[in-house]
Amino acid sequence: MSELSREALLGIVRDVWERRDPVPAHLVAAMQATAAMAGSDVDAELMELVERSTELVGARGSTAYTLRFVHEDTDLLLRVAVDGDRSRVDGWVVPAEPMTVRALPGELPAPYAAVVTESGRFELTDLPLGLLRLRLEPHDTTRPAFATPTFEI
Amino acid sequence: MTGIGAVRPVGPADEVWQRATDGFNRWVAGEPSGLDDLVAAMTPVLWHVVRSYRLSESAAEDVIQTTWLALVRRRAAILDAKAVGGWLTTTARREAWRVAQATSAVAPADDDDLAPLLPRQRSAEDAVVQRDEGDRLWAAVDRLPERCRRLLRIVAFENRPDYRELAADLDMPVGSIGPTRGRCLAKLRVALVQAGATETGEYR
Repeated sequence: MSELSREALLGIVRDVWERRDPVPAHLVAAMQATAAMAGSDVDAELMELVERSTELVGARGSTAYTLRFVHEDTDLLLRVAVDGDRSRVDGWVVPAEPMTVRALPGELPAPYAAVVTESGRFELTDLPLGLLRLRLEPHDTTRPAFATPTFEI
Repeated sequence: MTGIGAVRPVGPADEVWQRATDGFNRWVAGEPSGLDDLVAAMTPVLWHVVRSYRLSESAAEDVIQTTWLALVRRRAAILDAKAVGGWLTTTARREAWRVAQATSAVAPADDDDLAPLLPRQRSAEDAVVQRDEGDRLWAAVDRLPERCRRLLRIVAFENRPDYRELAADLDMPVGSIGPTRGRCLAKLRVALVQAGATETGEYR
């Protein structure tokens, strides 16, 4: 008999426990319901675009422009810079508060995220061109998340 | 999420982490079905991790529910979608450990230590197919010392368990987790041979 590899042994352990102590049949559905109910509270409120600068055309075909969004007392200023087929967003949240900013490009969810600094700044780099939306999630969990409308880079 | 000398199980386990990451990304992008998929992928993993803390079924379900609520509330804490699985198992283990500590004083009899020794109800057709091979595998795992059973169960279901926390939970020195895991695997290998459980070659 050949020596069992570590992965094969761990596979046996998984198999044994899955048979011996199976996940209760109702558990996944129950947890989905729990999570969905809790998650429905975190739907983002929409920010409003209040200002958009004219595009600034720089050297070598790079461009940059600024956007300003507001939601209640929070101001979000963005400077979007395009270089070739990638872009970067430098943001400034006023007043500054601890939050996570996620970039949601188009249809394809991708892991672009940053935490704002104490001064309210954040940066997202190497973003693809196209449609983009930013989602701001305050670390104060009593505050709802909010999101910008979709804009195009 | 990196662990010291982390084990990376192959096969179905890898798909679980990928499904978790994909689900998280879609959920963050505003698709509620992403959260459903994340929950479906990770709840079974959480079950096995939490149950290794000798919690009753209902206590384990409570811990898992607490974990999912924590994820929804603390989603902003997860910047890298690939880390979501590790975040969940770590959160679940902390909560399981806390609950186990809180209840151990009032529950001297440990049913879960006895439970593995009892045959579990299975459907008739399952029983016919699984009795021989399955029972031999069960017997081999049962033969392990309790600490080995718990450690291997956690390591088998988690992707990259944090050895520091694992050591504290299992009341072992951090540096001994790796060697202990190795010894436990060696014991399992011997137990399997003794039980004749691998003669069919299914797991070769």
